[in-house]
Amino acid sequence: MTDAPSIHENGEGRYCYSIVLHGASVDLGNIGIDDNNVYTVPCREIAAVVHSCNAQPYVTEDNDTAKEWILTHNYVIDQATKQFGTVLPFSFNCIIRGDDDTIPEWLSADYDGLRAELEKVKDKAEYVVQIFADQVVLLETIAKNDEGLKRTQRDIRTASKGAAYLRQKQFEHKVKDAVLIAVTHLAKEFGSRIQANVDEMKAEKTPSQIPDKYKDMKLVVTLSCLVQDEKLEDLSEVLDEINNRKGFAVRFTGPWAPFSFVQLQEV
Amino acid sequence: MKPETENGLVDVLDRLVNKGLILNADLIISVAGIPLIGINLKAALASIETMLDYGMMEAWDVKTREWYTNELAKKTCAPLFENEEILLRTFGSLYYSQGIITTWRTGFWYLTNKRLFLWSKEPTQMFFETYLDQIESLSISAETYLSKERQVVNLQVNCDKVARIRVSEVAAFTEAIAKASGKKICEASSSLLVTT
Repeated sequence: MTDAPSIHENGEGRYCYSIVLHGASVDLGNIGIDDNNVYTVPCREIAAVVHSCNAQPYVTEDNDTAKEWILTHNYVIDQATKQFGTVLPFSFNCIIRGDDDTIPEWLSADYDGLRAELEKVKDKAEYVVQIFADQVVLLETIAKNDEGLKRTQRDIRTASKGAAYLRQKQFEHKVKDAVLIAVTHLAKEFGSRIQANVDEMKAEKTPSQIPDKYKDMKLVVTLSCLVQDEKLEDLSEVLDEINNRKGFAVRFTGPWAPFSFVQLQEV
Repeated sequence: MKPETENGLVDVLDRLVNKGLILNADLIISVAGIPLIGINLKAALASIETMLDYGMMEAWDVKTREWYTNELAKKTCAPLFENEEILLRTFGSLYYSQGIITTWRTGFWYLTNKRLFLWSKEPTQMFFETYLDQIESLSISAETYLSKERQVVNLQVNCDKVARIRVSEVAAFTEAIAKASGKKICEASSSLLVTT
């Protein structure tokens, strides 16, 4: 790796949106955060998509401003994708110290790695699959098939009041465990069927918010998938089949730039 | 089934704040100033923690680290005893191993005139706590993590197994504990060298 670029004296910076497979300077217009002009700075066959700013991060306490910035960042990535094909997206608020001359220096330092990543995600996109299960249907299925649970239910009916209360608690625990096992099992099953149709797949933890539509359902699994454009049909079919099963719902969003597959890598 | 292409704010946040490329520490101004939206705060904190796990805060300049520590410390309220004073407060993590789950638990390390503890804000809980006089030994060892060399602080409390701690300023942190507890920093035994 070459020496780190020298820190620019006059406090200039470049806000980074993404890296693209395109070796020329292009002006994308004033589509950036705070209406800044977004353009590419190339280094051989790749380029960084940036806007010029002060060498300080974007900070705000105002919700609306923050939303605006975040959505704009995403919009610029979308536009870059439209124009240049697949991109390597940056996380929000990555600002490099320096000016346009600084950029080719650091792109050059990681050139092979970045180039390889771009090739890896070419003609692919990220999609997010969330599978929800209706609690009632889940419980019905579990109760039907679990002898132990049925027995506990019978015991509750025949027991005296005190004993019945304890058995009820026991029953509730068993049901909770059974639901967990069923959900884990389903997650594995769905996961492997989906995996067969994607290049890469990652299980994600529960997102910060779930759309109201699914509030009463149990989230079985959230998967980020890197999917080849030509395999999208096949994946859709698998998801349709799961979505059509009684008591299940699939939420499918995308295409996204491959955020999860350039996973907080240092550049 | 066609994918939803309308990107709701929450979906966008889940991508942009927790994922994607980030600049390496030499180049970065900071990833500070993650906007403080209600629904985003959790995501923002989570992303800092993820970065901490990857050891990416280590080379941040002092000002940026201070900003973070102060901004986010405002939102946490670690419980202190009467007459307890904070000597040092820094981001860090603790190696946690239970059955098949191994992870680095992240939060704020507080060194006070009485205790050393790791406090998590979201959800609020104490991951680790010891009184200074219970500290038996203190050493620093090197580890490889994600093919990078990192320094880890090893802390032995009474007869418990060694707590492995990561922070950005390893030397300063360890020295501060040594001073506060009256223990010397000793050589790490080679059996503590691990690769995660």
